[in-house]
Amino acid sequence: MSGSEDEGGEEYLFKIVIIGDSAVGKSNLLSRYARNEFNMHSKATIGVEFQTQCLEIDSKEVKAQIWDTAGQERFRAVTSAYYRGAVGALIVYDISRRTTFDSVGRWLDELKTHCDTTVAMMLVGNKCDLENIRAVSIDEGKSLAEAEGLFFMETSALDSTNVKMAFEMVIREIYNNVSRKVLNSETYKAELSVNRVSLVNNGAATSKQNQTYFSCCSR
Amino acid sequence: MDEEYDVIVLGTGLKECILSGLLSVDGLKVLHMDRNDYYGGASTSLNLTQLWKRFRGDDTPAENLGSSREYNVDMIPKFMMANGALVRVLIHTNVTKYLNFKAVDGSFVYNKGKIYKVPATDVEALKSPLMGLFEKRRARKFFIYVQDYETNDPKSHEGLDLNQVTARQLISKYGLEDDTVDFIGHALALHRDDNYLDEPAKDFVDRVKIYAESLARFQGGSPYIYPLYGLGELPQAFARLSAVYGGTYMLNKPECKVEFDENGKAIGVTSEGETAKCKKIVCDPSYLSDKVQKVGKVARAICIMSHPIPDTKDSHSAQVILPQKQLGRKSDMYLFCCSYAHNVAAKGKYIAFVTTEAETDNPEVELKPGIDLLGPVDEIFYDTYDRFEPCNDHEADGCFISTSYDATTHFETTVKDVVELYSKITGKVLDLSVDLSAASAATEE
Repeated sequence: MSGSEDEGGEEYLFKIVIIGDSAVGKSNLLSRYARNEFNMHSKATIGVEFQTQCLEIDSKEVKAQIWDTAGQERFRAVTSAYYRGAVGALIVYDISRRTTFDSVGRWLDELKTHCDTTVAMMLVGNKCDLENIRAVSIDEGKSLAEAEGLFFMETSALDSTNVKMAFEMVIREIYNNVSRKVLNSETYKAELSVNRVSLVNNGAATSKQNQTYFSCCSR
Repeated sequence: MDEEYDVIVLGTGLKECILSGLLSVDGLKVLHMDRNDYYGGASTSLNLTQLWKRFRGDDTPAENLGSSREYNVDMIPKFMMANGALVRVLIHTNVTKYLNFKAVDGSFVYNKGKIYKVPATDVEALKSPLMGLFEKRRARKFFIYVQDYETNDPKSHEGLDLNQVTARQLISKYGLEDDTVDFIGHALALHRDDNYLDEPAKDFVDRVKIYAESLARFQGGSPYIYPLYGLGELPQAFARLSAVYGGTYMLNKPECKVEFDENGKAIGVTSEGETAKCKKIVCDPSYLSDKVQKVGKVARAICIMSHPIPDTKDSHSAQVILPQKQLGRKSDMYLFCCSYAHNVAAKGKYIAFVTTEAETDNPEVELKPGIDLLGPVDEIFYDTYDRFEPCNDHEADGCFISTSYDATTHFETTVKDVVELYSKITGKVLDLSVDLSAASAATEE
């Protein structure tokens, strides 16, 4: 963006979803990134909603609202509403379980069915600390990512490898996408805002929430 | 599966998802299943391809309508009253965080062949062409009485016990004309027929109050709000609530056969050869069809248009109520319109529904008065569905069956059913006294 378009204090709220098979470590990736916590007991996710993280990019405050599936992926029951308004996605597999890598194609199909084509997507091979029982090579992950036009990174939520980098790469890519679009979406954004109402006293969040619709203009 | 649960819920309709959410928050272990591969059951929202498949038998929608994904066509079209029971449930459960709403642009009533904006306050009543000058003065007095009425303040009752006095008697006291009674009873109190006139006036007055308070809530053109992306978002939001509190979700489970013990008590559900055990079953009527009885039928038309409903001041979203007496019918007819402004259609497109309790077997003829108000229509689909009520003894069989959705364009009856089911299932009363004052119109630049 040119200097003349730089608006001090502008804020963004980006919705990012994490998808992938059960027990690949989605919740631990999120808790490691958001709260630097890791839970060894891998029960289906309970109590996790979404986490909001702040980042500064180009002197602008960027908030990422990162959603976890709440366990609904276990029996293939993720809602279409889960994807609603998402501008970023991490598709996670477990490098020690081949079936979770084989499922990536199905997760991509679901993502593309529900999301705008400009969603920033990253393929994440988690649990890279389990090198001794690796079942998916780095090259295989990288090749699939290249074929599908995704970013790629291997991570370990257990020992923190690449977790922060993975999320921030997606957030920066979203920011770049939005920056390119924002000038063209003013009219549509205004239209979407007309008659909006809030049921709870979180007016500020409501205003910021509107910005997740920047990506709608290409629908 | 092959596990044990407190409750198994069958069907992901809105009622079932609200109950699933409430029960999971209460700490019960809930399994929720649906035979379809989508959420919502009878109350889902369909994209264009799904709509064509269901009503035209093929999956090739007309190309000029835009992308299938841009459509979210509600199968049970209803608006939410801003001060109504469903909003209370949303706030009570904190499910609002998953949803975005817009105020509905307009609320209208059909009178003698024309559409009129519905007045709901004494100020509006004075401006409305629905009434003559002297009638306006009488209506104003009535509205002031309703606004001032407080259950716990005997002075505001003005000597009337609304638990004894009928609605007809109350209306007679204010000398209101039949046409005025029609729009107050049907467009404000949202009664479906005229039976309310001979019942105690309390319910009638409460309903008018909810309407007026809902109208004031967001100071918009109507008392209603509606979620972006359509009503299919609501069951999904409550399903997420349930999942966050440990509920297990399975879609695309065929059959879902309820198993009973020798005493006729439900003990579990079998699907695809596996059985999950439970103490109680909650479901919509389609999962236990031998335990429900047919109580009516709804006729409806679903229309795709390229313009708002004429004479609604270009409303992107609107309700029009056609009172039964205006049409010579037993039940009201409802027009419900939403559009691309709510992300339920492609840009420039509107979705309109005409709905009523069926009184014949020919929906096309029966719905004509409503359809004639729509103007040109790009595509139209006709449909009827039966309405069922449970006729089982839930104490004996442990099955709690919801009632089918009615033809009205609001959710008050829906939540009433949910609240009653919740009490039967848990033995507890659901306290929905939430603070509505935090709700507000968003200030947009």
